[in-house]
Amino acid sequence: MTESDHRAALARLVAASGDPLAASRDPLAAGGAGVSAGTGPASASSPPAARSGRRPVVGYVCSYVPEEIILAAGCHPLRLGARAGPTGPVDSCLQSFACSFARGLLDGLLSGQGRGLGGVVFAHTCDSLRAALESWKARKPAGSFTHFLNLPACVEGPGAAEYTASEFGRLAEALPAVEGARPVTAQALTEAVESMTVLRRELSRLDVLRSDRPDLLKGSQLLAIARGAATLDREEATDLVRGVADGLMGPATAATGPAGPGAGISGGADLACASGSAARPRRPRILVSGGFLETEEPLRLVEEAGADVVGDDLCLAGRALAFSGAGRGAGHGAGRERSPAADVPALLSALSQAYLSRVPCPTKHPPSRRLEFLLAEVKSRQVDGVIFLLQKFCDPHAFDYPAFREALEASGRPCLSLEIERGGLPAGQAGTRVEAFLERLRFVGPSADGGGGPP
Amino acid sequence: MRRTSKGDPSGATGPYPLLAADRRLASDRDLKGLILKHYLGAYKAKGLLGRKPVAWVTSGAPVEILLALDILPVYPENYGALIGSRKAAVAYCEEAERAGYSQDLCSYARTNIGSMLTGRGELGGRPLPRPDLLVAAKNICGVVVKWWEVTARHFGCPLFIVDTPFAADGLTSAQVAYVRGQLEELIVFASRAIHRPPPSREAFEGRLLGVLELTRQATALWQDIQVLRQASPTPASALDMFTNLFPIVTLRGSALCVEYYRKVRAELAERVGQGLGAVDGERFRLIWDNIAIWYDFDLVRYLHARGAAFVGETYTDAWGVYQYRPEDAADPLEAMARLYSQVLLNVGLEVRKERLFRMVRAQRAHGVVFHSCRSCKTYSLGQYELSRAVRDELGLPTLVIEADMTDSRALSAGPTKTRLDAFLELLAAGSTPASPNLA
Repeated sequence: MTESDHRAALARLVAASGDPLAASRDPLAAGGAGVSAGTGPASASSPPAARSGRRPVVGYVCSYVPEEIILAAGCHPLRLGARAGPTGPVDSCLQSFACSFARGLLDGLLSGQGRGLGGVVFAHTCDSLRAALESWKARKPAGSFTHFLNLPACVEGPGAAEYTASEFGRLAEALPAVEGARPVTAQALTEAVESMTVLRRELSRLDVLRSDRPDLLKGSQLLAIARGAATLDREEATDLVRGVADGLMGPATAATGPAGPGAGISGGADLACASGSAARPRRPRILVSGGFLETEEPLRLVEEAGADVVGDDLCLAGRALAFSGAGRGAGHGAGRERSPAADVPALLSALSQAYLSRVPCPTKHPPSRRLEFLLAEVKSRQVDGVIFLLQKFCDPHAFDYPAFREALEASGRPCLSLEIERGGLPAGQAGTRVEAFLERLRFVGPSADGGGGPP
Repeated sequence: MRRTSKGDPSGATGPYPLLAADRRLASDRDLKGLILKHYLGAYKAKGLLGRKPVAWVTSGAPVEILLALDILPVYPENYGALIGSRKAAVAYCEEAERAGYSQDLCSYARTNIGSMLTGRGELGGRPLPRPDLLVAAKNICGVVVKWWEVTARHFGCPLFIVDTPFAADGLTSAQVAYVRGQLEELIVFASRAIHRPPPSREAFEGRLLGVLELTRQATALWQDIQVLRQASPTPASALDMFTNLFPIVTLRGSALCVEYYRKVRAELAERVGQGLGAVDGERFRLIWDNIAIWYDFDLVRYLHARGAAFVGETYTDAWGVYQYRPEDAADPLEAMARLYSQVLLNVGLEVRKERLFRMVRAQRAHGVVFHSCRSCKTYSLGQYELSRAVRDELGLPTLVIEADMTDSRALSAGPTKTRLDAFLELLAAGSTPASPNLA
């Protein structure tokens, strides 16, 4: 792949990430070198649904919804986020103290942004999203498909795996009710698992790269790529992500480490590519922690203030890639060892184990695994400081924050918390606080266990 | 009825006194003793000579299992309400906020975390007695899971989460089996936590059935009390019921609880026989939705002074739902799994609406007051839909007031009273008992 190819691949992923709902139905937004689901190249000008044989698009709201099952049902999974801009119909449904993500999500659905979706899958996450589900059920268009994946809050403990498998089974049984969907077979499920494993593996290469060579790939770009990959046809997304990784990994393999020089992709919003190599001073290395972000703007703000976002504990990127036993985000591979002859229950059982053993979201119990993940990440990625992006009125993150901050600061990583609402930050104030935080990091210097403070 | 000497400054709703004095139930005297005895018992259990293990539990925890293991349950939520009713919660909340807990978090949690972190409390200056184990059930909200995690970290204490799937409109057999399996595990977990061998199944079930029978009796009495409130005038309003909630929450499964509610039922029956109401000149019969505003009962007294009585509360009614049937003795854990998974805050809006409508009709209510409690998302979110349904389908006026159960900073009392006045005018203008669609 040439440099222009990987630039184009990146541009397509990022463009898709900007407005996933539009990308799922707008032929222009979905344009590009698309590859349909296992059926060969498709028209560049057709939307994903059309390119993939008019597969119905199923929106989902939580990273615990297994895309594998949606794919196996012949549907296109689309991660839904909050609607941008001023609030609309949600104000008459949910009070202002509901989680801002849940409000924004419901607002988008009620505003008709989900038109064209074949259905929506909610999952048990938190009290606010449960309320959003209930409001949506009361107001959704008659006959539209909505499924609630009633997942456990405890990812360990008696019966959690069996129960999760049973809920995955209910989803698999329900999805064929979506117009255009098909029954989930063992072969389709095996192929979907394989497909998602490969996509996660390719994304993980970029995850490693943004830590090892943030001059080549910014953390904000990785987040945009991850969102784009959760929007586009997964086979196409895999090819695009691989293209970006292949295009960048060449210079990266010759690099000398985090501070090494290299050619990379610069800029955030315009995604202009900077060619050639240029040494640059080491910048503070930041890990961000939070929930689902509709835009990479908060990460860009950190980068524009002079730091590198080299790791994350976010819903769509770090945590979504960090399946247990697969190394740093190498995907889960559930069911890969099984022959296509394995039956659906056995595959769902393996899939449930994989989802339960991934790095948990704060809505899941116990929280210790996420803290262990964070502490390991800040060490292995030589992180200097951690920025918590706390969604307004998000209870699970807010409850974890004081203890996690304490543990991270005890490990030598100063922490900053910023409140975000519908993916955004109050720019002026947040920018000042980030700049002050980076000054503090420069003053504190490197942590004792290798977290490098900037010189 | 005695009234305060103050006049109504707004004058909007007639020449009423500002607040009505409470017509307390005589059984309230016993209630104070019960509360004292409960908390003193907990301190004694953890005192020098104390040998009884203490569990901190959520209000929706399957407490009968702990009682059958001779573990004393303590309810931090009730403690939060107690601190709130003493108008002392804000100081504890601020302590929690200083430690990094957002002001947007549940005020019961912040109040308790503040007390826990400072080692101060409102019972003789002491915080709650240290727990030996922690049990939280997700059936009331996801917040308690996180709050109990914080508590477990603080005390280094074993924690058990009863993970109840959301019973939107029923439960699958797999969901019941999942919860039932956890209840089996809870018996083992709690035994280990108190350093005792797990009991034999036969012996344990015998004790459990005994406790469940006491729960059944108490909840049946509680339901009888709610039925007595259908009388006109109603013999008990929201203040009586909120304060009398203590035994059904914290003493559930005990003989004391049953004994107490027998007295309350008898007293209310006597009031009904005498035609004595909780509120003089009862003109309007209202339903309250959500937890009480513990620090400001004056809002209720304000309504009482204007002839508006609360004849039902979804919050107090919810505690009468835990009904065990004789046939449940065959598999009490399955019955508990089913019942504890379908408490008011773990069912869907349609079921909540059905229960609310049933109550409105049974109690012959004229309107519904929704307390939009910013601390309690599971209770509050969905109220807009319910309010619309009451207005559109029953033809009754509704009022949504913004507040919090313990954090008084969330309530603007003045504007709220203005809204109460407007609501009373709406009630007076059109909604007589004959007009609503209560068929």
